[in-house]
Amino acid sequence: MNGRPERFSAQPNELLVERLRDGLALTGTKVGCDTGQCGSCVVRLDGRSVKSCLILTVAAAGSEVATIEGVTTPGGELTGLQEALRQEHGTQCGFCTPGMVMALGELVDNTAEREAPTEPEIREWLTGNLCRCTGYHSVVRGVQRACSAARGEASAEHADAAVSGQEG
Amino acid sequence: MTAVTGETPLQEAPAAATPAAATTTAATTTVDPPPQDPPLQGSGLLGQPLDSREDPQLLRGEAVYVADIDLPGTAHMAILGSPVAHAKILSIETKAAEQLPGVLKVATAADFTDVMPLPCIWIPGGVESHFPPHPYGLPGARPVLTGDTVRHVGDPIAVVVAETPRQAAAALAAIAVEYEPLPVVTRADAALAEGAPQLHEAVPGNLNAYWTCGDKDRTDAAIAEAEVTVELDLVNQRTINSPIEPRGAVGDYNAATGEYTLYASTQGPHNHRFLLSALVLGIPFNKLRVVAPTVGGSFGTKGYLYPDMPLVLLLSKALGRPVKWVDTRTGLMNSTVQGRDHRQHVVLAGTRDGRITAVRATSYANLGAYPSTIGPGVATALMGRSISGMYDIDAAFCEVYAAFTNTVSLGAQRGSGRAEAAFLMERLVDRYAGEIGMDPAAVRRKNLVPKEKFPYDNGLGWTYDSGDYQLNFDRAMELSQYVEMPARKAEARARGKRLGVGIASYVAICGVGPSTRMSKEGMLGGTWESANIRVHPTGEVTVTVGSASTGQSHGTVFAQVAADELGIDPAQVQVYEGDTQKAPYGQGTYGSRSYSMAAPAIALTARKIKAKLVKAGAVFLGVPEDKVVYEGGKVHEEGNEENAKTFAELAMAMWYGWGLPPEIEPALDETTHFDPPDFNYPFGTHVAVVEIDELTGETEVVAYTAVDDAGNIGNPKIVLGQIEGSILHGLGQALMEHAEYDEDGLLVSRDLNHYALPRAADAPFYTLGKTTTPSPHNPLGAKGAGEIATVPPAAAVVNAVVDALSDLGVLHIDMPVTPEKVWRRLRGESQ
Ligand code: FES
Ligand code: FES
Repeated sequence: MNGRPERFSAQPNELLVERLRDGLALTGTKVGCDTGQCGSCVVRLDGRSVKSCLILTVAAAGSEVATIEGVTTPGGELTGLQEALRQEHGTQCGFCTPGMVMALGELVDNTAEREAPTEPEIREWLTGNLCRCTGYHSVVRGVQRACSAARGEASAEHADAAVSGQEG
Repeated sequence: MTAVTGETPLQEAPAAATPAAATTTAATTTVDPPPQDPPLQGSGLLGQPLDSREDPQLLRGEAVYVADIDLPGTAHMAILGSPVAHAKILSIETKAAEQLPGVLKVATAADFTDVMPLPCIWIPGGVESHFPPHPYGLPGARPVLTGDTVRHVGDPIAVVVAETPRQAAAALAAIAVEYEPLPVVTRADAALAEGAPQLHEAVPGNLNAYWTCGDKDRTDAAIAEAEVTVELDLVNQRTINSPIEPRGAVGDYNAATGEYTLYASTQGPHNHRFLLSALVLGIPFNKLRVVAPTVGGSFGTKGYLYPDMPLVLLLSKALGRPVKWVDTRTGLMNSTVQGRDHRQHVVLAGTRDGRITAVRATSYANLGAYPSTIGPGVATALMGRSISGMYDIDAAFCEVYAAFTNTVSLGAQRGSGRAEAAFLMERLVDRYAGEIGMDPAAVRRKNLVPKEKFPYDNGLGWTYDSGDYQLNFDRAMELSQYVEMPARKAEARARGKRLGVGIASYVAICGVGPSTRMSKEGMLGGTWESANIRVHPTGEVTVTVGSASTGQSHGTVFAQVAADELGIDPAQVQVYEGDTQKAPYGQGTYGSRSYSMAAPAIALTARKIKAKLVKAGAVFLGVPEDKVVYEGGKVHEEGNEENAKTFAELAMAMWYGWGLPPEIEPALDETTHFDPPDFNYPFGTHVAVVEIDELTGETEVVAYTAVDDAGNIGNPKIVLGQIEGSILHGLGQALMEHAEYDEDGLLVSRDLNHYALPRAADAPFYTLGKTTTPSPHNPLGAKGAGEIATVPPAAAVVNAVVDALSDLGVLHIDMPVTPEKVWRRLRGESQ
């Protein structure tokens, strides 16, 4: 769990999001729906983004789980993606934000080794995350900014911010 | 295809009429400064796109929302909602549920007989008395739990409190309720028909209000005499606001002090405190504290009073532990107020050459099963008084029949009332343009309220404060490249697509508002806003406001306002809000009011601080008061900048209070209650371009231009985000959103599998522009901004779709414009 071993026993019907929020007090992961539609609960399981409201805790046994709390230290420096989203004001009420950061982290992380994602690709990637406040535009701009920083395409200052943290 | 808006961020229109002196407070129209408030001398901070200081916390997942609050010893509440839409409750059996593991209490209406119903505080038609009737006495008010008759699916019948949320939810299933079904009605017009099922004994015929505005005789006469009349029957479908955070509440009663604390996802903590203590619970005002933690979006819905709020407080007292309730998405869909929902017959009259002479609307508004906190006002005044939009029309009349039905209560929804008004008017204008064979843009241009007519009485009860509608409209035509549209249509045709263009203009009443004016509208309560500024001995400043953010970066913007006026660094300013124990009174965030209500209160308070510092400065500088200048965060002697004291020095000196004459109190702590002379009226013009696929009937918005005028803007970065989100919300109503009830009153769209919300790939490219007409009704020249861009998109898109299908004889198509509906039209089927 965010790089630290956690040992506990779970009921077979316990959802991962319940364990995170209620059992481990990792409340950065949000619950916005009952049906796996909103993406507020996205965490990364062995590096892949998953909806923690759709997966049982027992199914995550033995896996590496990364939540928003593991992305930065409390009050600490933002990662490149977070910094880019901050600069583009990609968050308003912020409820969808942790899920977005976790889902987008996977996209931005891999951007250095491949083609920068196109805008339609970013939007496609975001399809599992609902945001009612922003209209997504500022989020998309944030991802573009983060990707170009990760690829060393932006100003030095910007690139610094991008590499100063680690994703997921 | 989709693209982001980065290239065209909120461009300022060429401001031909702007005086050269204008800086960030540039005006495109000449507006007399308000007599009582000379323009503030800001330091130029306002208008700067400062980064949101809230964002880092949100991005790290560290912000605390109500579901994240975990008080020691918390028990968990679940609510049993009715599974049927209309029935008599014959019996409720709770014994089995009480025996289940972890269950601490099961309660029904019988446990709360001394609790008043939830008040409705907006009575259409106005309240003239200073001592209004007790609103819980109003017919149809919702009880805290329903004991005898359920009136919509989700109507709360019983609650369980248990050790864990799962135990509480599980116990609901063990409560046995016996129902005797009653006939169901879900449409407002049907509810008013002879023989319709009756919802409330005290409300014969289900009619909550018959409300009118404008001049009926004059309008009828103009229509009778008109060269041309056009008519439309419109359905403004019911929609669900769907903030991504469902609502929640935590009640915490302290037996030692007798104090109650409510943590809730509220956009108006002070309002909720007033309503709950004085009107529902009958407990002393000063024994209830309401705290809004971070709130995950609201768009209108979280300003309402819901049964869970009194319930967690009462049950906390009963059990001696904090009680927490967090809604599910399905729960939200079946209990949080819904929006829009009018069925209308609308008529427009005009001349053959495009001059609009009259507009008349008859609307059946669906209030749902109970009058929500302000739902009746949303369905009447907020809609009706706006129907003439940006046009100078001689005769206008609107009548609304507001009816009860077996559906979730109606409330506000981003752009509420104004969006419904813009929809009907802008559909009518296009219909009229089609009838007389004139370009819809030309018809609009011809009828815009001319600049010299402001303040403009629209004949429906609003007096528009300021505007340059021509400039705004022309800017929208230019940015959208409207003249290119015929060529684009031909080009699309060659690709097998039908291209349509739709324009929609609007005026949105914001800045609620003048308390006396709102009493005439029927609002039972003041609608002013307040701010306190406290300067600490160390020179840092705390601003507290009665408003409460639901994602609008108040902490950033309000600090900007105070710092601008005081001439200090915004980093020195901390903003607090959302806790009734810490913040001054205030009414909260709704109707895009915070920046034009709370920000002026802050600016005026900062002035009081400055005035005091000028007085004290005379003592500290040893010169007469009229020789003291406050400038750039310090006071100095006029003409002698050497004889000066900085803000930090002054703050410390005022804290010590040494040497102050008796008429100057020590310390710097000032408050303002701002009640504006009238509303403010932002406006704008949007243009949608759609392409329809002939084969599938699918509508794609291929270009979207919005030119809005929100007066002087404090922080354009924050407003840009609100405009972008608002447009997509409006597009959602046009294309996909629909709260659909079946004939038994079951909400078919009960979760996000059945209720479509726009996703990232649904957002088209936006081209955004702005014009700037300051409002004379507040010292910042501000107008509402947050939700105004939700007002026109639905009309713009439907106009575009109808334009694309006009050669098939299509005159109207109901929202949401689904591929199936369009596909049927393409094959010649009627609606
Ligand atoms: S809470 Fe998991 S997708 Fe909505
Ligand atoms: S920022 Fe509010 S839901 Fe996305």
